[in-house]
Amino acid sequence: MAAAIETHALTRRFKRHLAVDAVSMTVPDKAVYGFLGRNGAGKTTTLKMLLGLIAPTSGQAMVAGVDVAKDRLGAARRVGALLEAHGFYGNLSGRENLDLTRTLIGLPRTEIDRVLEVVEMTANADRRVSDYSLGMRQRLGLARAMLGAPPVLILDEPTNGLDPDGIADMRRFLRALPERTGATVLLSSHLLGEIEQTATHVGILSEGRLVLEGELDRLKAELAPEITFQTDDLPRAAALAKARGFDLLLTEDGAVARLKPGEDARTASAALTRALVEADLAVFSIGPRARSLEGIYREVSTPAAQPQPEYA
Amino acid sequence: MLAVLSVEARKLNRSLAALLAVAAPSLIAVFGFFMLLRGDKPQPWEMWMGSAAGVWAFFMLPMSVTALTALVAHMEHGPKSWDHLRALPLPRWKIYAAKAICVLGVVAAMSVAVLAFTWLAIQAASAIKPEVAPSGPLELMRWVKVMAMMFGAALLLIAVQLWTALRYASFVPGLVVGIGGTFFAVVATSAKQGVFLPWQMPVNMLASEPWRVTTALELGGGVGLLALIALVLHLSRREVL
Repeated sequence: MAAAIETHALTRRFKRHLAVDAVSMTVPDKAVYGFLGRNGAGKTTTLKMLLGLIAPTSGQAMVAGVDVAKDRLGAARRVGALLEAHGFYGNLSGRENLDLTRTLIGLPRTEIDRVLEVVEMTANADRRVSDYSLGMRQRLGLARAMLGAPPVLILDEPTNGLDPDGIADMRRFLRALPERTGATVLLSSHLLGEIEQTATHVGILSEGRLVLEGELDRLKAELAPEITFQTDDLPRAAALAKARGFDLLLTEDGAVARLKPGEDARTASAALTRALVEADLAVFSIGPRARSLEGIYREVSTPAAQPQPEYA
Repeated sequence: MLAVLSVEARKLNRSLAALLAVAAPSLIAVFGFFMLLRGDKPQPWEMWMGSAAGVWAFFMLPMSVTALTALVAHMEHGPKSWDHLRALPLPRWKIYAAKAICVLGVVAAMSVAVLAFTWLAIQAASAIKPEVAPSGPLELMRWVKVMAMMFGAALLLIAVQLWTALRYASFVPGLVVGIGGTFFAVVATSAKQGVFLPWQMPVNMLASEPWRVTTALELGGGVGLLALIALVLHLSRREVL
């Protein structure tokens, strides 16, 4: 599959702080790529380099096959962006705001009605933006990003500040975006649930480094499931599980035994149950569970220390 | 470029720039109106127009440019729209050049308004108190030329104010520079060195010594034009973090 976005050893340093460290990422065409990382991990800096807003210290960023550093205008024609700061003029209506951008990039007037329809904002288009809720501003931002139907959409934290209903609306909308617009979506977030429910592909950024990337379903499938269990004597149960070759993690409410890749979860679960019962341990609960994105994230990212500022 | 200019004009049109553009010349005209009414003998047109041009160049022009450039820059700083604008597929220099052209356009319109409003105010006051109606001919073209020279000499101060306002997200640095520049222009009016101060260059167009007029016009206009070009190049190339 062709890549809509590609970076090669993309690096950005702010004085002594290395914000983005040799990131090589690939966003496949028509994917919804979840760009995950805690605040200050370097997500926004990476997105700004993709948009040509800041220059990389080294490395290369390509959007739809165009090198951003060599041809910023060419790359910008192929990308629409929703940034954290919307930059709307509050004294103008939603339609007027869109019209300013439309004029700047030389599109026909019909584009405004088209994008308003896509984000279901036609009815509110003539209200002043200062009267909009945050959710409406986010949708207007999406509409503006879609002006001219660019093949790539870059969305920086699109659910930031939204209420639960707004988040659910936005997720539904983002999932349907590639189908409705034909665009590839690069979506940054620090919310695991948001990415898990929206993205087809994921890239995890930790302290400026891309520590994991791939198709979400494949990543989850490749990782062996786990068996969680609770007993009346956890240290004995843990020792027993370890003796049977399980990789064990003790949690607040029990233990998690990780299976080896390829191992059948049901067979392993039955064997562990039998062993625990034969050792005369009272088993309160036991069962296999699939690995979540959170589990993957915790495994590959550096433990949360001091949150680093995006720009030092 | 026309598209970018039209967008800037639309944004300005919906801001308070129009109010500023009318208010500053109106204040000078209102001042002239009451000055004429409190007089007891006719004064020549020369005096009324010279007085309006002087007040404009001396104080109202630098202060209006300070306010206008802060307003133009804050249209983008306020809603943090720089990233959106700078990510668009259009050369960034056009964004800054359009802003500079719009500021110059508004200042030029205000210069014309100073003459027009003053003429109207003096006519109105003369209608109320005909005995003090201005005497002598009105050399309108002479004053148009003086205002045009003041506009040319103001290019450097406009460039400095616009550069500061666009460079810093806070409006405070621009105001400090504007108020400081005007303050020194006022307190050092008669100083020879004043001719080299951008905020005093426009008022030097009324100077009786020809070297002051020439120096201020050449420096203000020539260096001002170069400064405007440098402003556009610098701001379009710098990173906005």
